[in-house]
Amino acid sequence: MDALLQSLIQGVLLGGLYALIGIGMSLIFGIVKLTNLAHGDFLILASYISYSVVAATGMNPFVSLIVVIPVMFAIGYIVQNTMLNRVISKGAEPPLLVTFGISIVIQNLLLYYYTADARNLRSPIATKSIIITDGIRIPYIYLIGFLVGIIVIVALGFYFRHTYQGKAIKAAADDREVAQLMGVNIKSIYGIAMGISMTTAAIAGVLVGMIYNFYPTSGSAYLVIAFAVVVIGGMGSTYGTLAAGILFGLAQVMGAHFFGASAQLLTGYVVLLIMLIFRPQGLFQR
Amino acid sequence: MKTGFLSDSKRLIKALIMVIVLVGLFVLPNVANQYTTMLVMLICMYIGLGQMWNLLAGYAGLVSLGQQLYIGIGGYALAVLSNYYNIPILIGLVVGGLVSVGLSVALSFLLLRMKGMYFAVATWITAEAFIVIFAGWTYMGSGNGLFIKAVRGMPTSTIYYYSLIVAILTIFIVVFLLRSKLGLGLIAIRDNDSAAETSGVTIFRTKLYCMMISSFLTSIIGGLFYMSQVWVQPYAAFAINWTIAGMFIVVIGGIGTVAGPILGAVIYVILNQYLSQFGGISMIILGVIAIVVILFAPKGIIGSLQNRFGFEILSARRDANKNFMGMQIQETSENTEQ
Repeated sequence: MDALLQSLIQGVLLGGLYALIGIGMSLIFGIVKLTNLAHGDFLILASYISYSVVAATGMNPFVSLIVVIPVMFAIGYIVQNTMLNRVISKGAEPPLLVTFGISIVIQNLLLYYYTADARNLRSPIATKSIIITDGIRIPYIYLIGFLVGIIVIVALGFYFRHTYQGKAIKAAADDREVAQLMGVNIKSIYGIAMGISMTTAAIAGVLVGMIYNFYPTSGSAYLVIAFAVVVIGGMGSTYGTLAAGILFGLAQVMGAHFFGASAQLLTGYVVLLIMLIFRPQGLFQR
Repeated sequence: MKTGFLSDSKRLIKALIMVIVLVGLFVLPNVANQYTTMLVMLICMYIGLGQMWNLLAGYAGLVSLGQQLYIGIGGYALAVLSNYYNIPILIGLVVGGLVSVGLSVALSFLLLRMKGMYFAVATWITAEAFIVIFAGWTYMGSGNGLFIKAVRGMPTSTIYYYSLIVAILTIFIVVFLLRSKLGLGLIAIRDNDSAAETSGVTIFRTKLYCMMISSFLTSIIGGLFYMSQVWVQPYAAFAINWTIAGMFIVVIGGIGTVAGPILGAVIYVILNQYLSQFGGISMIILGVIAIVVILFAPKGIIGSLQNRFGFEILSARRDANKNFMGMQIQETSENTEQ
């Protein structure tokens, strides 16, 4: 019983992190109508940037975000403006292929600079837990991941509802041409949207690095998570993403609980495939 | 209109060049060293891989990220049939192909409901799931994979000839297919699927045939590759790198052209060989080239050349007015008007 409860808690906490992993991809899908196949690799790129910052300065991985976030925002803005904006109007295949190409370039650049060795952003907090009973304990780092995920998502929801820039972005997503007529610079808006998406990837990347080991090729695993969260939550829906993250986290952890640790990955794949086949518009979309 | 004489002589030159190239390729193992033979063998395999990805992505509008599924099935079928049942290699290749066709038909009923990036991601996830399944399947050797005993000591030239024949086969199949009614249907679907459907093209069946053909030949290429590797292992056999290779080859050479994947495969294999000692450098260079090509020359090298010179090396178009270059004349005149 304790083991099941422990799995449940872990699934929910993991879900907050999953939502954070997926929210950036969801944003870009909703606003730019682009599937960013490099999202997972950008996330891992952020983990490596943080790794370098931590190695150079000895600061806490969390504090390194003051460097990692601006860098990732700039990368997102530049990638969107120099590459993706050129292909988004050219049908479905070219944007898919460009982001896939970016994914391969990032993976191999990381492999070249950092080698294939495992890295992590462990800090002393990684091993501490809140002990509730003998069988149930909540690792701090999972709790932090969950809370940060929720804070970021709520902040984004506020940004899109209550700030001028956020509203302009939403308007551009809803009707590109009318927004353009109202004086919104679409290409620049898309750049900012990608920058915001990369900001969430940066935060997710640092958290992921604090919990798990990462390799240059880890990105594809996080792309699967991001994609699952986006599909389950319904493309472009902010709070749907949060619910979807928790659902997907629970599904994976329950898969591992009932069928063994090796089933965690497979459960995730199967859930995603079933969603893609039967309900690609997401659970929360009418 | 061009005169008959001119197009006839051009046609003759083209045929002559093709015959010379083919004869050269067939005598190659006798005159070249083993390294060159192996290089050309790899090029042949990647031509086939590229042609089959192109058939899906370039003509049927199905950007698959899961071609590695059939590569793996081809390799494993060969290993299982020859190791456990002593079935001859060639039959093993064909059976692997048929298993892949069966699998692709079953998957098509699920996957062909999707479009664009949904299809792309679903094919990729399916292949990833196969890694997990095969890595945990004792009969398949789990994570260590299987050693294909029957192909140990097989001379490179044998695999070379198989690969050459398969490469030629894929090219002919694509050309033949595109000139057939199926090809017309494909082009109609690619240009406007709802209009095509109202004109009587059955989208599902047309795409299904492409999936079947592509899975069969990709699986045979997988079998051939693992004949030369002798060892099939789940993480490599079902790795997305196969599709990455196919995509690079097609995008750089020219998506939606028949000659594109041939040029792309030559570039891919040679670049990979020369830069293999520098870790991921070749993939970085190939990735950058692919992105630049999509951004600035979306038709690839061959497609851009064809546009400029109005010359098609391996035409997938039907002969119009019995004139081999018939369709090109219109395009060239359009270009000069601009």
